Amino acid sequence: MADAITVPQVQPVQPALRFLRVVPGILLLAAVGYAGKLLEQNVGAYAKAHHWTFPNIEYVLWAIVLGLVISNTVGVPEIFRTGVATYEFWLKAGIVLLGARFLLGDILKLGGVSLVLVAIEIVGSLAFMTFLGRLFKLKPKLTTLLAVGSAVCGVSAIIATKGAIEADDEDSSFSIAAILALCALALFTFPVIGHFLHLSDKAYGLWAGLGVDNTAEATAAGALYSDAAGKLAVLVKSTRNAMIGFVVLAYAIYWASKGQAQAVGNKAAFLWEKFPKFVLGFLIISALATYGFFNKDQVGALANLSRWAFLLTFAGVGLRTNFSEMRKQGLRPFAVGAIGEVAIAGFTLALVYGASKIFGW
Amino acid sequence: MSTEVAVGKTASKWKLSLDTWAVLVAFLLALLVRTGVFKHIPW
Repeated sequence: MADAITVPQVQPVQPALRFLRVVPGILLLAAVGYAGKLLEQNVGAYAKAHHWTFPNIEYVLWAIVLGLVISNTVGVPEIFRTGVATYEFWLKAGIVLLGARFLLGDILKLGGVSLVLVAIEIVGSLAFMTFLGRLFKLKPKLTTLLAVGSAVCGVSAIIATKGAIEADDEDSSFSIAAILALCALALFTFPVIGHFLHLSDKAYGLWAGLGVDNTAEATAAGALYSDAAGKLAVLVKSTRNAMIGFVVLAYAIYWASKGQAQAVGNKAAFLWEKFPKFVLGFLIISALATYGFFNKDQVGALANLSRWAFLLTFAGVGLRTNFSEMRKQGLRPFAVGAIGEVAIAGFTLALVYGASKIFGW
Repeated sequence: MSTEVAVGKTASKWKLSLDTWAVLVAFLLALLVRTGVFKHIPW
């Protein structure tokens, strides 16, 4: 009987079936993303040919909006969902390939500045969200999840923390819904505020990387402003992601000391397990590009591969955002998240503004 | 029953995370570009 149960776990056809299950969704991501790219090229040209005043809307926004329209009208049919969920995979592969466009020296220089800003942002955000959670009398573990989600790295941080502090599924669903809804809002508000304040690409990229919580949305918010801002937003967001292990470890130790989570055994192994490996991949590709492993044409080819990967990501951001699903999760965690996010956006904007004055950006 | 546990443990030991898969795929693509298999990627 035991053998009958175990056989399916090692069946060789399983990976092939798993691969086939993701194909329809990946094709949908490609179709929506490519439609966004075609719209960028054709709508602008059509408006120009007819002498219309029409803003140049980038493929990033078209892909997200098309995805949002599908997800919130007809919905994403079940057959596509597994493949659509691969947008995170494309995001991470795209970030690693983007490393080819960074020289290691630039990363160290910018990384140093962003590391200081990220440290201030994380401490400030954790403290403020914890205060808000207590003020609104949210459950302590829900408060922890919201704090980690807004301070470090959105959904990944919430999932990593949920496991480490043994939080309820309901709490993590609340937190993920709140963070995703607010990230969707940030996508549309950050570029408008950036243009209104005439922020430079550097200042805006830093702000998007510090202020937008989920990596996909931070990448999109940066790319919506400019290519240079998008690159910087990815770098800063990756610096934030690199902190995930330390923050989750601190919370795991805290909740274990209260007897409400399992004690952490090997701390180094815990940190390695939580460390986002794509950050290492990004640094390795950047080091290879810096030391001439790729010629100029090859760097261009890698940059374009990274753009195609991001195209799938941006389509996925729209397709997985369903506002009616988010509304079902309740108002209070969303209110705490919203107040916190607005405060964090203001706080990080002030940080970046201060840094831009000091460094003359 | 013991077989089930053993098989489960072996499977999970070699299971790579999404992150790691993304890095491996990106490295493979970079290698294909470096070795000239992919000469030009249009955008």
